[in-house]
Amino acid sequence: MAFADLTWLIPVLPIVGLLLAAALGKKTPEGGGYFVVGGIAVSCLISLLVAFEFLTGNGQVISVSQTWIQLNDSLKFEIGYYIDGLTALMLIVVSILCTVIVIYSLGYMREEGDRKRRYYIEIALFVTGMLGLVVASNYLEMFIFWEIVGLCSYLLIGFWYHKPSAAKAAKKAFLVTRIGDIMFMIGIITLFASFGSLNFRDLFDPTFFEQAHVDSGMLAFGLFCLFGGSMGKSAQFPLHDWLPDAMEGPTTVSALIHAATMVKAGVFLVARSFPLMVHSPDVLLVVAAIGGFTALYAATMALNNPNIKRVLAYSTISQLGYMFLALGAGGYMIATAGNNEGIAELGNAGYMAGMFHLMNHAFFKALLFLGAGAVIHAVHTEDMRLMGGLSKKMKITSIVMLIGALSIAGVPPLSGFWSKDEVLASAWNAGAVNSGFYLLYLFGVVTAFLTAFYMFRLWFMTFSGEQKEAAHHAHEASKVMVVPLMFLAVFAFASGFVLLVPDGGLPAVINAVNVEGHLIPGETLGLGWVEKLFTEWQTWLSIAVALLGISIAYLAYYRKSISMDRFANGWASKPVYNLLLNRYYFPQGYDAFGSKVVYGFSLFIDWIDTKVIDGTVNGISFVTVRWGALLRRAQNGLVQSYATVIVAALSALIVLLYIIGGLR
Amino acid sequence: MIPQEYFLVLAAILFIIGAFGVLTRKNAIVVLMSIEIMLNAANINFVTFAAYRHDIAGQVFALFSIAIAAAEVAVGLAILLNLQKQSDTIELNELKILRW
Repeated sequence: MAFADLTWLIPVLPIVGLLLAAALGKKTPEGGGYFVVGGIAVSCLISLLVAFEFLTGNGQVISVSQTWIQLNDSLKFEIGYYIDGLTALMLIVVSILCTVIVIYSLGYMREEGDRKRRYYIEIALFVTGMLGLVVASNYLEMFIFWEIVGLCSYLLIGFWYHKPSAAKAAKKAFLVTRIGDIMFMIGIITLFASFGSLNFRDLFDPTFFEQAHVDSGMLAFGLFCLFGGSMGKSAQFPLHDWLPDAMEGPTTVSALIHAATMVKAGVFLVARSFPLMVHSPDVLLVVAAIGGFTALYAATMALNNPNIKRVLAYSTISQLGYMFLALGAGGYMIATAGNNEGIAELGNAGYMAGMFHLMNHAFFKALLFLGAGAVIHAVHTEDMRLMGGLSKKMKITSIVMLIGALSIAGVPPLSGFWSKDEVLASAWNAGAVNSGFYLLYLFGVVTAFLTAFYMFRLWFMTFSGEQKEAAHHAHEASKVMVVPLMFLAVFAFASGFVLLVPDGGLPAVINAVNVEGHLIPGETLGLGWVEKLFTEWQTWLSIAVALLGISIAYLAYYRKSISMDRFANGWASKPVYNLLLNRYYFPQGYDAFGSKVVYGFSLFIDWIDTKVIDGTVNGISFVTVRWGALLRRAQNGLVQSYATVIVAALSALIVLLYIIGGLR
Repeated sequence: MIPQEYFLVLAAILFIIGAFGVLTRKNAIVVLMSIEIMLNAANINFVTFAAYRHDIAGQVFALFSIAIAAAEVAVGLAILLNLQKQSDTIELNELKILRW
């Protein structure tokens, strides 16, 4: 029996954990958390087996589905699973991270009391949604799981719903991502109307695509709407503003949902739709442009934020932008390659870079968040200005955080270096096709510099310097939290090396298709490639900006030889400082839009509702009641008056019939 | 042979008298009697047509009609008796509780 036959169990097992926790959570330790951990762990095991089997197999895509809803011959939806290299990669990343983070939360949530049961139930539902999303075999199925993870995100951001800020953040996250979800739905409807099928098996089949004769404008519209869904889920500009607020939830939730898995769903959606995307270079250009811009834009806001989790949140948005940049640039090259196989291969490398960065980012960002969680757990504040000097008390946490920071800053040979370099390389290569990508490359390089700076600002502010008041009672977290941290640190350090496995590795697994629908073989990278990599000036540039960022952070926050207060209060820089601290006034913009435009429009709608619609209804009922009041007087209870009416009417009828000749 | 119209006119006159009684008299017993007149007008018509068209069915109907009329009078008088007991009157213009 093949392990792939067990794929359906992957999303089901966390639900089993959920049901057990719901039924027995009140009587078992940790609010039934062990059931959920068990369900997720077994699901993880199956995921890894399925992925392993696929990766060691012949590379044939496994697509199993059966009819779910059949309305008539053409209107039919299926349910099932679809396993290719992308699914395998996502299964590995998502299932490992879910397991590790849920184990960590056994320690982190220990003091939450009765609320733990709710936490574990929601987490289990989330894991179900996320794994289901990954293995889904068609867009409709994907959309359902997509909404489940959105719901869980809402519930878990608002976990401490008694705090008004958390409740507000949850609402905001729900509403903002809803814009994206509606676009996703429009995209799905457009695709279904154009192709008559939503199955990946059909849509990604070149002959099927050929026969459908879909109008390219229609296809571009549908794909753009799909990307709209990605923008909402992956917090890309201008739908990014919910993610920083989402940090109101528990740190484990931030790590799992808002850094490692759910926000990657948007990237995954674009990557999943790649065989369609390569037919619409314009959409890919938009993807790359929004990704590149968001990377830079979000990184600037991370520069001066005092809240440790928010810095990581902005960093997440920025890194997601990198992934979109790589996917957009790679896809654009494939779409415009024509017969030029060299360009197509570079495009494939871009696609691979996006997914590679997704994987690495998931590991190091989960590590950073969990590390930040350990710190918050120890000092009971999220404000970095109150921390400092923690490295003596929390040795392991400080070391693993340093690994994470070095990785995201892009210092070789940690994982972040390899994927960031690939991302930037694909943006640079796409510049040869469309010079606009040179600008996006520049954005990417500046972002790399900013990333290195703010990550080390975070590290120095938290772990170095003299101990502040909050640090006095700090202590290293319990084993159940530290072990997952160390586990993730290994991944954050080493996950980049999958690129370098000779005759295989990531390039052999993650392959985009070209416009004709054929897989582009990934070039096998080996040590020779590394040699080539370190002879290119772009590589040295990205290392240099990373080191520059780290040095400035070192000077400013460790040696304190550069005063950041001067920057914060200088006459020219103060407005900039405040602009960044206030997130470019985007929340105010949202609020103003909400209170002026939407509220005004709602007032207008309300006017229509109360005056026009209610008026019509009330008018009809008023007329009816009045006529009733008049007519009921005919009902006077006198038998003879009724008889008179009958006789008179009958006589009139007879006379009438006689006149018009009906009685002949 | 007496022409058919004589009978029909007689029946029509009887019917109108009955209808007039139903519509105008206050006493419920008189109204009941008027209804009987109208029924008999119809019976005359049945029998007339049966005789002139040599069709026995009309006479059969007339017999049925008489039987039903007898039953109807029995029921009607019983109702009137109860009315008298309940509300001390069988004046139709005073019996108007079934109304708005």
